[in-house]
Amino acid sequence: MAPSATTEGPPSTTNGSSDFNVVSTYKSLLASDPELTMPVAAIEALVETLAHSHATTISETLALLTTATNALKSAISNPISLSAGTDLFTRYLVSSLRNTGGSDTDFQAVRTHLLSNGRLFVQRAKESREKIASFGRHFVRDGCTVLTNGGSRVVGALLRSAADASPSGNARFRVVYVVHAPSSPGANEGMETVRALREKGVAVATVSEAAVGYSMGMVDMVIVGAEGVVENGGIISRLGTYQMGMLAKSMGRPFYVVAESHKFVRMYPLGQYDLGIEQKVVDFKTSEDDVAEPKGEKLEESATAVDFTPPNLISGIITESGVLTPSAVSEELIKIWF
Amino acid sequence: MPSSTASITPGLPSFLRTLKTSPVESSIEQFISLLKRRQIRNSRPCALATTQLLLRVVADFKGRDVAKLMARIRHVGQRLTAAQPREMAVGNIVRRVLGLVREVVEDDNEGDTPAMSEAGQSPPSNDVHQRPGLTSSISTFSPLKHGATQPTSPGEHHAQSLGESTFTHDDSSVHRPPLIGSHTSYAQPNAPIVTSLFGLFSHPSAPSPTSTPTGHSSPSMKPLTHTNLAMSELTLNDKAGTKDIKADVIEGIREILDELDQCTEQIAGYALEHIHADEIVLVHGSSTTVQKFLLTAARKRKFTVVHVESYPNDHLDTYSTVMNGRKKPGTSSGSAIDDEEESVDDMRFKPLTSAGISVILIPDAAVFAIMSRVNKVILATHTVLANGGLIASVGARNIAQAARAHQTPVVVLSGVYKLSPLYPFDTEELVEYGDSSRVLPYEDGKGVDGMEVVNPINDYVEAGLVDLYITNLGGHAPSYLYRIVADHYHVEDVNL
Repeated sequence: MAPSATTEGPPSTTNGSSDFNVVSTYKSLLASDPELTMPVAAIEALVETLAHSHATTISETLALLTTATNALKSAISNPISLSAGTDLFTRYLVSSLRNTGGSDTDFQAVRTHLLSNGRLFVQRAKESREKIASFGRHFVRDGCTVLTNGGSRVVGALLRSAADASPSGNARFRVVYVVHAPSSPGANEGMETVRALREKGVAVATVSEAAVGYSMGMVDMVIVGAEGVVENGGIISRLGTYQMGMLAKSMGRPFYVVAESHKFVRMYPLGQYDLGIEQKVVDFKTSEDDVAEPKGEKLEESATAVDFTPPNLISGIITESGVLTPSAVSEELIKIWF
Repeated sequence: MPSSTASITPGLPSFLRTLKTSPVESSIEQFISLLKRRQIRNSRPCALATTQLLLRVVADFKGRDVAKLMARIRHVGQRLTAAQPREMAVGNIVRRVLGLVREVVEDDNEGDTPAMSEAGQSPPSNDVHQRPGLTSSISTFSPLKHGATQPTSPGEHHAQSLGESTFTHDDSSVHRPPLIGSHTSYAQPNAPIVTSLFGLFSHPSAPSPTSTPTGHSSPSMKPLTHTNLAMSELTLNDKAGTKDIKADVIEGIREILDELDQCTEQIAGYALEHIHADEIVLVHGSSTTVQKFLLTAARKRKFTVVHVESYPNDHLDTYSTVMNGRKKPGTSSGSAIDDEEESVDDMRFKPLTSAGISVILIPDAAVFAIMSRVNKVILATHTVLANGGLIASVGARNIAQAARAHQTPVVVLSGVYKLSPLYPFDTEELVEYGDSSRVLPYEDGKGVDGMEVVNPINDYVEAGLVDLYITNLGGHAPSYLYRIVADHYHVEDVNL
């Protein structure tokens, strides 16, 4: 390790220029590009953090990253997906430094690489989505019906690519899209994909969450996106995915997850209430309080709420490096952590 | 088809006999027509014939251009798989040989570049271009692909080449045959940390970081850089072309042949770990692999075998296996999708009963009834697919479901050559239908007129119904098969 010149005091966010704020950078990155996923935005934000800092030693940099990561995690209500990105970034830095023996020039080289290629990472993340789409479209055969939910961009890309791939130009599959009730704030999520698919000639039915069990009988497979893929191969995904997985399992339908591998996150949830985040999905009350004010907030909450789908419900995880079984996830994670 | 073979019954032996003498192109044609007419069928004969044929193709190849050699192998492979897509062993062997060529080229190039050099720093370093294979990051653990891993950063590569140069070299020469037991791969604690998860960060391999084709290494880049890859592959092959790799490739193919030879014995070697004293084991059909497995266990232990007859496609062979320890000679074309052809070395075959094992023959319909007494089900297979599912002779799924209902463990025996990297997107198209006169003979005119008779030859058994796979590499959980696939096939070769 290089000598850490931490005589100037404990590292903090003020280590860089004081006007830089990692959280607002993250949020503006996400807002500016609807195609950006949370882990990649987090990586971008960390690259920006590095760029704004004057850290010259390894331990300074790592401390800076830790502070920035913690700041990000505490500012976002559900930091699971985000932490996949920040962890990946930190592990990359640490393992490349470890391999170089940590000499000063190597550190500079790694730092320069990260700083100068920020856009490239985003680019690759988007391309991996296309790659997944090209892999995954083989799952969507002629004449089959696909059930999906949420606003996952990868699922959208996959279905669009499957529609494009059909040789006759006529898409010969149907999609059942689970959407929120029209009154809820998350209702528009996924509608974009629905519109795009209908433009391509794919017959799309939108059903409510309550109709999942009803429609499962006419569905050949379930394809969902994920916010995070956890160590045991389960997924963290938007509320309602778990029940889709259970219904698919009980009716013997394959349940596929599409996720880029940068969404692999190192956590091992044992159940729904073990995600380490605060969710007010189930809210016990003894009195009817006024419905008008808090309801909007509550709906907002349920639009962003997530659940955990355990690996035994998942048939396969379609990533850019191929179709993995859930047990392959831990191996990929072990490779970067140990 | 050459007229010379018309006199003998066409099949694997006649094909192998004429292969040595007839020109390559006509041999290919002959094999294709044999495949189409199902005169060579089942995994093992197909694998053997394909390997021998590719040996001829490679030996016959003129010139030193690796790209052309690979294109040639690929082309032959496309024709063979098109002739009989359900015989996946053919495609598996073609992919193995293609992977072999890639590895030989990689090893050679490594030999070219001085290992201690600053290969990482020199931008157009050969290995960067020549390793599109590594997009399969899953396989980076394998010692085989060790030397071939993509540097994540120049510095890192440097350090690696310092530390590992000697190791990589002698190791790869030892390990060249793709016979690696993947369980050994964990034995390398210092494996370079290069994973798909870091793919996002990997270095742009082009000299200027701003140029668009960034990082062949990154898995995410594949669709974009396809043409680019092809180009770089060509250039690298120009470099590698100065070396004659043919000898190495032929040696590798011979090792595949050895693997095919020994596979049954290797699997049988695990028998004692799985069959215990006084167990009741249920088997199905007339597989030689299963028969050898049971015989090996019978040398040390006493147990009971329940043999399902698998009427109507395989029952005669099953009877013969029970009575004589081997299939009826000369009926291989009639036997159902199982695995083996009649073996020439029949000296070693003897019935299980002669080893003191009591064998109970039951009809297929009795499977569920008897399952409650069975301790273990051992199945043979036709093909194993990348998701852990398998294709076996019809009745296998029935047995697997019955076993699941009784919580009886299901063990599947399969050589690695049967393991296909293909994913069963549509399981129905994998099922083959055969001669319905086996169910209802044509002599029964009334019956033939009056009803529709179908005779499916094989079954798709999903991964969830299998508890353990035993291959020549050892025992694996179905969910682990993806790993063995990644160790044996290169991603680019998956689609021939």
